[in-house]
Amino acid sequence: MKKFLSALTILMTLPLTGFAAGGYSIELEKANNSLEDKDSLKRGAILFSEYCMACHSLKYMRYNRIARDLGWEDEEVVAYMTYNQNKAVDTVMTRMLPGVDKEVLGTQVPDLSLIARLKGTDYIYSFLRGYEIDEKTGEWDNKLLHGTVMPNVLEGMQRHMSSEEYNQATRDIANFLEYVGEPAKLKRHDLGWKVLLFLLVLIVIAYLLKKEYWRDIKH
Amino acid sequence: MQPSHPTPKNSLLAWLDARYPLVSTWNVHVAQYYAPKNFNFWYFFGSLALLVLVNQFVTGIWLTMSFKPSAAEAFNSVEYIMRDVEWGWLIRYMHSTGASAFFIVIYFHMMRGLLYGSYKNPRELVWLIGMLLFVVLMAEAFMGYLLPWGQMSYWGAQVIISLFGAIPVIGPDLAIWVRGDFVISDATLNRFFALHVIALPLVLLILVFMHIVALHQVGSNNPDGVEIKKYKNEQGLPIDGITFHPYYTVKDLFGASVFMFLFAFVVFYMPEGGGYFIEAPNFEPANPLKTPDHIAPVWYFTPFYAVLRAIPDKLLGVIAMGASIGVLFAMPWLDRCKVKSIRYRGASYKVLLTMFVISFFVLGWLGTQPATPELTKLARIFTATYFLFFIILPFTSATERTKPVPERVS
Repeated sequence: MKKFLSALTILMTLPLTGFAAGGYSIELEKANNSLEDKDSLKRGAILFSEYCMACHSLKYMRYNRIARDLGWEDEEVVAYMTYNQNKAVDTVMTRMLPGVDKEVLGTQVPDLSLIARLKGTDYIYSFLRGYEIDEKTGEWDNKLLHGTVMPNVLEGMQRHMSSEEYNQATRDIANFLEYVGEPAKLKRHDLGWKVLLFLLVLIVIAYLLKKEYWRDIKH
Repeated sequence: MQPSHPTPKNSLLAWLDARYPLVSTWNVHVAQYYAPKNFNFWYFFGSLALLVLVNQFVTGIWLTMSFKPSAAEAFNSVEYIMRDVEWGWLIRYMHSTGASAFFIVIYFHMMRGLLYGSYKNPRELVWLIGMLLFVVLMAEAFMGYLLPWGQMSYWGAQVIISLFGAIPVIGPDLAIWVRGDFVISDATLNRFFALHVIALPLVLLILVFMHIVALHQVGSNNPDGVEIKKYKNEQGLPIDGITFHPYYTVKDLFGASVFMFLFAFVVFYMPEGGGYFIEAPNFEPANPLKTPDHIAPVWYFTPFYAVLRAIPDKLLGVIAMGASIGVLFAMPWLDRCKVKSIRYRGASYKVLLTMFVISFFVLGWLGTQPATPELTKLARIFTATYFLFFIILPFTSATERTKPVPERVS
């Protein structure tokens, strides 16, 4: 009977093999970033301020939260990220004036607070590195998102940095955006194992308690 | 004079007991409720469902303290909870993970019923109330999923509510009545919030109460499917029964701690559940002007969603989807075999049940995938095998070649 049931299971699930989920047009590069690397996050924050904030915002993110999580003082974060133009309690807004994006780029520039959760860190990393000169038009295009209106803002880096520096810089930005997507993530990982350890102890105690009570039950 | 059965000695308890049936209720339902001594793994899920229910109530109450049920503010307020509210992220993840955990636990709980014939005489009403609970739980989860007001929340609700439009004559007006608008909008969000936090939880609570009362009236089934009430000792107590407290309270404490370990692992290390518990597109605010390429409901609805999509006609699809859930209500009458437990049932039921379970899983997977022609063909085949279980069962179960059932639990 058991053999027949497993044969039935295999027979019924056989037609499913060969259906794999499709993804993006190109293989995403692995960002290999780490939220534990505070220096990377700090560099990422500053790079974000220098290269991205001209157009993009992080409207759910406050400067003082960044300071607290990355190990800066409030004065430092506004100095490094806003040239002292903002208060520490402010959220990270774009330097672009309202409406300019529609006028210049013909589209609304997305807020990047949740981009890492929407697309994944590897996507950001691959997108930042995806700019190539199109041989036909001679213009920059992104191989991950063809025809994007976002210019290759990292062109200077791409041209002048060593490939290691360039890898690190793009990784830092992706890392920072992953942090911004869920600032509680670090805390979550740090608290999680303690909770699990406690529950493990509870499991052992509950098991012994059960065993003790059930000794008088005859089977 | 000493009374024949003990009354509370503690004066406060005596005072209370004179005014409220405290001790007798406790005894009937816990301390002197006799459950079969041979419960196995599958019997953890009833108490676990209760645990998850409490989790959803408590975390839900705290979420409402910071959530704003309006189209303009809902998405922002969820991010506010995730970032600015103390421990907000934990409360939110416990609630979102709890929703998925609820269905995992309930599916195990229902599977237990199918394995050991828990729906059969005299427990038909326990099963019917349980099925009602399942349907209300689905409504509760569906409405809760709209609240974060992300793209998937919005378009998932749009798809499901538009199904009402398939009903002849009154359909289109009914859909507008449900939404309170021509599309999912602020009005819909507001009423779903009201239903999600007040109306449906209240119904759930009442049904859970009735589910337990009905169960305790007839007594619990067990993996052997024999009635422990048949053999009683001199005191009139079932020989193969043990009191729920302390034996099953300590056993369920163990089960609950193992469950909480797994639950905590998901909450702390994979709260998105691999994109199944919280879907990535839901991190983009609802946009009525931008339809996502691929709309899939949350995993626990996908088996039924696959049935809906498998049928080419919209109205027939809606009917088939409704039937795929509704037909489960009829289990006590579709299954005509007197033997309850799968341990002593014939080959036909084992084969049918295996086919049904595989169909359920495959349909569940298909419901998460885009409807390509090949996959739609597969969905049709597995919709057929899903329903075949209920169509064949009344015939085979009437003449099933069963094994001898033991007199007492083994």
